Amino acid sequence: MNGTLQGLQGRASVFVGAMILGGCATFTPDGGFGSVEQEVRQRIGKDAIWPRTDAEREALESRVATLLSKRPLSADDAVQVAILNNRDLRAAFAELGIAEADLVQAGRLPNPHFSMFRAKLGHDYKIEQALTFNVLSLVTAPLAFEVEKRRFARAQQSVAVEVLRLASETRKAWIAAVASEETVRYMRQVLRAADASAELARRMEQAGNWSRLARAREHGFYADAALYLARAEHAQSAARERLTRLMGLWGGQAGYELPERLPDLPGTASERPDIERQAIAQRLDIRAAILETEAVARNLDLTETTRFINVLELGPARVLEGEKSDPYKKGYEIALELPLFDWGTARVAKAEAIYWQALDRAAQTAINARSEVREAYRSYRLTHDIAKHYRDEIVPLRKRIAEENLLRYNGMLIGVFDLLSDTRSQILSVTGYVEALRDFWAADADLQMAMIGRVEGTLGPKTLLTQPEAAAGH
Amino acid sequence: MVTRRDFFRGAGVAGATLAASAVSRVSLAALPEPVTMDKADTQPPLLPPNGRPYNPVVTLNGWTLPWRMNKGVKEFHLVAEPVVREIAPGMKAHLWGYNGQSPGPTIEVVEGDRVRLFVTNRLPEHTTIHWHGQRIPNGMDGVGGLNQKQIPVGKTYVYEFVARRPGTFMYHPHADEMTQMAMGMMGFWVTHPKGQHPLIDPVDRDFCFLLNAFDIDPGSYTPKVNTMLDFNLWMWNSRSFPGIDSLNVRLNDKVRIRIGNLTMTNHPIHLHGHEFLVTGTDGGPTPVSTRWYEVTTDVAVGQMRQIELLADEEGDWAFHCHKSHHTMNAMGHDVPTMIGVDHRGLAKQITSLIPEYMVMGERGMADMGEMEMPLPDNTLPMMTGTGPYGPVEMGGMFTVFKVRREQKPGDYKDPGWYKQPPGTQAYEWTGPLAEPARFRSEGGQSMPLATKSPGAEFQVRKPKDHSGH
Repeated sequence: MNGTLQGLQGRASVFVGAMILGGCATFTPDGGFGSVEQEVRQRIGKDAIWPRTDAEREALESRVATLLSKRPLSADDAVQVAILNNRDLRAAFAELGIAEADLVQAGRLPNPHFSMFRAKLGHDYKIEQALTFNVLSLVTAPLAFEVEKRRFARAQQSVAVEVLRLASETRKAWIAAVASEETVRYMRQVLRAADASAELARRMEQAGNWSRLARAREHGFYADAALYLARAEHAQSAARERLTRLMGLWGGQAGYELPERLPDLPGTASERPDIERQAIAQRLDIRAAILETEAVARNLDLTETTRFINVLELGPARVLEGEKSDPYKKGYEIALELPLFDWGTARVAKAEAIYWQALDRAAQTAINARSEVREAYRSYRLTHDIAKHYRDEIVPLRKRIAEENLLRYNGMLIGVFDLLSDTRSQILSVTGYVEALRDFWAADADLQMAMIGRVEGTLGPKTLLTQPEAAAGH
Repeated sequence: MVTRRDFFRGAGVAGATLAASAVSRVSLAALPEPVTMDKADTQPPLLPPNGRPYNPVVTLNGWTLPWRMNKGVKEFHLVAEPVVREIAPGMKAHLWGYNGQSPGPTIEVVEGDRVRLFVTNRLPEHTTIHWHGQRIPNGMDGVGGLNQKQIPVGKTYVYEFVARRPGTFMYHPHADEMTQMAMGMMGFWVTHPKGQHPLIDPVDRDFCFLLNAFDIDPGSYTPKVNTMLDFNLWMWNSRSFPGIDSLNVRLNDKVRIRIGNLTMTNHPIHLHGHEFLVTGTDGGPTPVSTRWYEVTTDVAVGQMRQIELLADEEGDWAFHCHKSHHTMNAMGHDVPTMIGVDHRGLAKQITSLIPEYMVMGERGMADMGEMEMPLPDNTLPMMTGTGPYGPVEMGGMFTVFKVRREQKPGDYKDPGWYKQPPGTQAYEWTGPLAEPARFRSEGGQSMPLATKSPGAEFQVRKPKDHSGH
């Protein structure tokens, strides 16, 4: 019996061998991460690493520690830390392993099917043995493999998008955190001056020069300044925590130091007339949508191929009837599912519907991409104009007013309290500029992201200072 | 003695020039050519080159308009026009005036003179001239709409009358006068008596000036014409101290000073070192029986006062409006009083937001007279001027009456600072100081205090030196 079975297996192994030689998938050494790594490096020049051994994890941790030890932490370093250290992202890398496993699975032939029937009455035996193999899978396997290959490529793309989106969000969080720290620092300075004016008002009353009413009125500046500072600190705490989360930091690591101010506004905003076309060529979500449609199309082919015959199993068989010493009769077994009730139409219809769905989704992805990139570009230009207006018009204007007021103070044309209350509108212009600069850099990050994929997420809350009611002053 | 011809060549008065550029010579062929002045300095008296003789006045920081005789009629030509007037070195004002200056030139005539005044309007709006205080035909009184049509832009009108009453008068527009006077349109008129007058004594020096006020926002040039009372620049003849010339006289000169008030408030004009008599008002010379000696005379709005004195005390004597805010230049009227308010520790905190902030007013406002700090453009310090002993801390309606033994008759030049003879100047006491007895019965006899509260007196802060900040 053994010999005979070996013979059966020998014949079956011809099929299997053919399939493996035909390009059957095995697990790649990098788990498909190589292309993600390459994509990330090419797009933003950062290293994406998927540590899978303890040694790799240790090396990565020490690299993160080195980056965090830089004081201050630059936006680029913050982005690199997030890519290396964000655990959600690492979880997403695992998706790649799952997808690869599916791919490898699809590349392997189904196992041969061995069936045996044995009946005995005294010395009368009936034994049937068959080794069958799903012959149709030889035809469908390359198709299924194609589908899974595209699915895997798509998984790689979406992992790359996740890395790049995390990079973009980290960059924006860094911008918001730096801006909010700058605002807090300025508000502390304002509070210091406001404190002086409140104290001066107190001394005015003490010296008998002012009524309690006049003093109370002047105290308002101090009260407002304390509120502004509290709001600014609130915004700063939220912005910093967001950055900390994105970089996946906790404990002592969270004590990183940020620069004092945002980078200066570039002299001119870049001209990008061809931006829509570039975006269509570059965006990973569009590529993913195309891969998806291709995979679905292949799937449709597959379904159509197998619409009548779902299972066609074929293999050698032998039968013994009678005494155990009688010879086996050799033959073969064919099993075929008859499309008597299920002609496969439902499966084909479903596959078709999925195919059309994929096509429409791909088309909408392209439409959205164009619109998003236009919006992002316009936002980039407008925030640049606004920040430039603040820098070149509003701030210098307020400064000039402050200078002229100081001259008036020198001439005893106005008092010190007028001088101080004027600084309140100066405060608005300074914080307004910081926020405008923040918005510009955020828009710049969004524009870069819009060239990669969908833009998500907004900056943290704005401080109240830019609201018009606060501008009403005293 | 300067001839009329000299005047019309523009050589008679330093700085006087013929202004024929804007109005063509041809169109003005029948008119006396307008003479203009480009300097704000006091010009020497204009000795009458023709007509009835008289003893001319000196207009403080001003001049007298030359005339021509035309068949026995004195012809003057006033041109109403925008001018740039120097208020004091460091500040110029964009005003409206006459013949290059605001106030316009003084017009001097003699009682009984027939006067013909050509008035050319080079303002952007119509105008008229009212001859304030004079007895004239009703149609010559210059109230637009009432006595005549307003003089349209670019047109010349002629006023003609006899100067009937000797005295001190003014001229100013009576068409949109609120704007036009706020812009500086005004001038002086002196009618000298014909021969001897029982109530008008001959004098050695005869000065005149108008009191006027503008509201010019620091850093700007043009007066705010809608200001009613809260003016910030107080002037004599549109000059503020230290831009006002001193009144320089010779010891024992008999001096007459004529003052007209075209501001919106009264001005108690006060002279140091001498008593004077008010010898004339808007109504003419005062009867001798009504005159009494004074050191301050209040000149009410729209009034004229003519004071006379014998300058028999040598020295540099202050001469000013006694409303102390009127001896200041532009100042903030809402600036809080900082006296006695300790700034220690605060100045540094404030400079974190306002880097160039300096403490002022803590000890009073005299800092202003001492410190030289940058001010807005075209703005005079609130108090300024330096005398021989330090800052004078004045502005506005303040000048010096200088009496000198060596001043020559007819010489109006500034003799410089007076040097007091030894032993005639206040000096520092260096001996011991006894503690004075202090008042201790708050509440008084009629309503004694039920409970004695800690009196405000105890909280008075004595001046301390905080030069550390």
